[in-house]
Parts: sequence; C-alpha cells; structure tokens
Amino acid sequence: MPDPTLHTAALAALEAAANRALALSEQGTAVLEPLAGSVFACHCTTPELDFYLHLETDGVRLTGVYEGAVTARITGSASDFSELATSEDAAATLINGNLTLEGNSAPLIEFQHILADLNIDWEAPLVSSLGDVAGHQIAEILRGVFSWGRQASSGLARQVEEFIHEEARLSPPRLEVEDFYRDIAELVMRVDRLQSRVERINRKLQKS
Amino acid sequence: MSDKDTTHFGFKEVKKDAKAGLVADVFHSVAARYDLMNDLMSGGIHRIWKRFTIELSGVRKGNAVLDIAGGTGDLAARFAELVGCEGRVVLADINESMLQVGRDKLLDTGRLGNIEFVQADAQFLPFPDDSFDCVTIAFGLRNVTDKDLALRSILRVLKPGGRLLVLEFSKPENELLSQAYDTYSFRILPFMGRLVANDSDSYQYLAESIRKHPDQETLLDMIEDAGFAQCQFHNMTGGIVALHRGVKP
Repeated sequence: MPDPTLHTAALAALEAAANRALALSEQGTAVLEPLAGSVFACHCTTPELDFYLHLETDGVRLTGVYEGAVTARITGSASDFSELATSEDAAATLINGNLTLEGNSAPLIEFQHILADLNIDWEAPLVSSLGDVAGHQIAEILRGVFSWGRQASSGLARQVEEFIHEEARLSPPRLEVEDFYRDIAELVMRVDRLQSRVERINRKLQKS
Repeated sequence: MSDKDTTHFGFKEVKKDAKAGLVADVFHSVAARYDLMNDLMSGGIHRIWKRFTIELSGVRKGNAVLDIAGGTGDLAARFAELVGCEGRVVLADINESMLQVGRDKLLDTGRLGNIEFVQADAQFLPFPDDSFDCVTIAFGLRNVTDKDLALRSILRVLKPGGRLLVLEFSKPENELLSQAYDTYSFRILPFMGRLVANDSDSYQYLAESIRKHPDQETLLDMIEDAGFAQCQFHNMTGGIVALHRGVKP
C-alpha cells in the first residue's frame, strides 16, 4: 500500500468540499436520509485511486479503508465517474458507459439523481463573510464570468467540431461514421450467414 | 522483558520507578497548549494520521473502544460518533492534566453519554478481561515505562477478534528525509516549544523519546511477542509515523 498520508488527505479534502456543497444546497443533507447506510466502493483506474463513499444522515464520508459489506462496487476512469455524475440518465450511462458495476445499482442511481438535482447557493458564504452588498455583487460578477465561460467553451467546441469536419475534413461527420458502422455491421451479418450456408453445404456434400 | 532497573527518559538513563513521574511532569507542563503545539509541529498532518487510524480501526455502531493516552480526545471524539449511543468509548490517560483538558474539550463540544474518562496506566489497565472491540494508543506508547507489559495488558482487555492500533512516531525510510527530520526535531521543535509553550525542555524530550522508540520492525515483533495475530504496520509520511495493527486471536 502506498503512503496513506496523501491519499487520506485528498479524501479528507474531497469529503469536506462535498459536505460544504451539501450544506449550501437548498435541500441540505436531508436528501441523503433515504440512502443512509449505503456504501459504494469506487475503484478509479486513471488516475489510480480507491476509496469508499459512505452516505450518512449528516453528509457523506470518504474513506480509503473499509472492511464491511458494500452496496455496490464501481470501476472506471475518472472521466467515466465524471460522466456518470453529470449524466441526465444515470441508468443509461451505467448500461452504455465504460463503468463496471457490481451489486445494487438502485441506490447509486438515486444518489446520482440527488447530485444532479442539487441546487447549491454559492452566494451564501460570500454574503456571510463579505456582507450583503459586496457579497452579492461579487457573486453576480462570478455568475457572469461562469456564464460567459460556459457559452464560450460550448461555442468553441462547436466551432472546432465544424472546422474538423467541414473545413479541414480531418474526420468524417458523426452521421457518416454511423452509416459506415451500420454498413459494416450488415456486412458482418451477411458474411456470417454466408459462412453458415457454406458450412451447411459442405456437411451435405460430405454425407453424400 | 528486561531485568534492568533503569530505562530511558529521552537520551537519559533513569530509574524505572522515576520515569512515570518525569513523563507526567512533561505532560503537566504541555497539557494546556497541547493541541496548538500538535498543529504547529506537524503542520496539521497529525489529523490525517489520526483519520487513517480511525479508518483502519473498523469501529462501528455499538462497539466498545478504549483510547489509551487519549490526551485531548481527538480520537475519542470521532469514535464516540462512530459507536453511537449504543456503544461506549473510554478515554484513558495516566496524566491528570491531559485528561482534564480532554474531558473539558469533549464536554464543551457536547460529546457526552457514551464517553467515560478514566485515569489509568497502560501497563495496568483497570478493566475486566475481554472488554473492548478496539484499543488505540496514539503517540503514547513511547512514554510507557514497560511497553511489553502495556501490550500484554491491552491484549487482556481486548475481546477475541478485537483490534489494537498503535500510532507512533517511527523511523523515516529515506536517509535524506531522516536528516531533515533530525534537524527539525532537535533545532526547530525545542525553539517552537519555547516560543509557544514557554517550555523547550519538554519538546527536547519529545524529540529524544522519538529516537529511543523502537523502529517499525522491532515494534511489530513486540506486538507479535505479546500474543497478537495478523500484525502489520503502515508507514505514513515516509515513515515519520507508523500505524501498527494487531488482532487478539
């Protein structure tokens, strides 16, 4: 086992951030009550990180070691976990995504819905530490910056995609690729049928 | 067990009977500023070491836990939350001043009902056999006069299957880290002790007692010799601290 100090410190920081976010949300920790007692064993392959997520009535707890029974074991890369956390349809992401799940998926899907529905009031800590006027104004500025950042990044992503597909022709558009894969799938099926037919004819010839 | 009638107190050799009194003087002196000094000396990392200890303890609702040399109650506070109202946590310390500070701190933060406070010597624990699911001793074993006797006493009060966790300063794995650590311990620590707690001698003793404490492998052997099974240790922060674990068969 590697030096547990960094691992434990990272989990402690994540846990503190998660519980702070929960405390700032409209719903608070009460949303976790139906799931209290659930434990998810998470194995992140890239970067390599193992941890246990405990859901409790007063928040979440992250530990590096746990020897009791777990509700579910989830394995995947950090981007797979992130995809699940931000997904609009957790069940579909679990089925179609790259995460491997063992155990009971229902509490995990419910927890994902809780995460997706969290409405965090980021303004509250600013107002409580800087006062109503300054806190609100800084929150407005931050909201504007984040909103601009979101629009800019989605616009940039769209333009880059168009450049790659249409201008530079570096990669075919999604629909063309899907058509191509469909054709390949059909071809594979036809070849399989042909192969079985040839085998059947061979067997008949050998009998006769 | 050694038949010598002397033992070490830091780098000094003292009569076995005298060590407990000398250690008690050190802790009477530092008790009031113990938490502050711990945070300053370790940069807050002692909280991470203790957190890992709690994770490895496997303590759950309804368990009985004994925290020996519990000092200002960092571990006991968390254990009290984990065992819930149906469990029981005993915060034991040989030093009255440390116990007083720990009791005040826990009561002031509303932790009562499932915590008991007992002034006790780790070598002669005043509890019936097979009483606890888990016994912890964090940064305390090196101050005990007869460590083998203390380990056997802990084994006696643990239930079969119960766990012992010893969190203690140990030997850094890397030679470069070891040299940096020596400089820090013998030059900076006593200076900080003088500045913050107005007591450099106690912090000089702290550095010396760490050097006299058995290294990881030796302590592991001692725990096995006392009768524990499934013994193992985890080095933390490059071996500056080690967490040893043993199970009562």
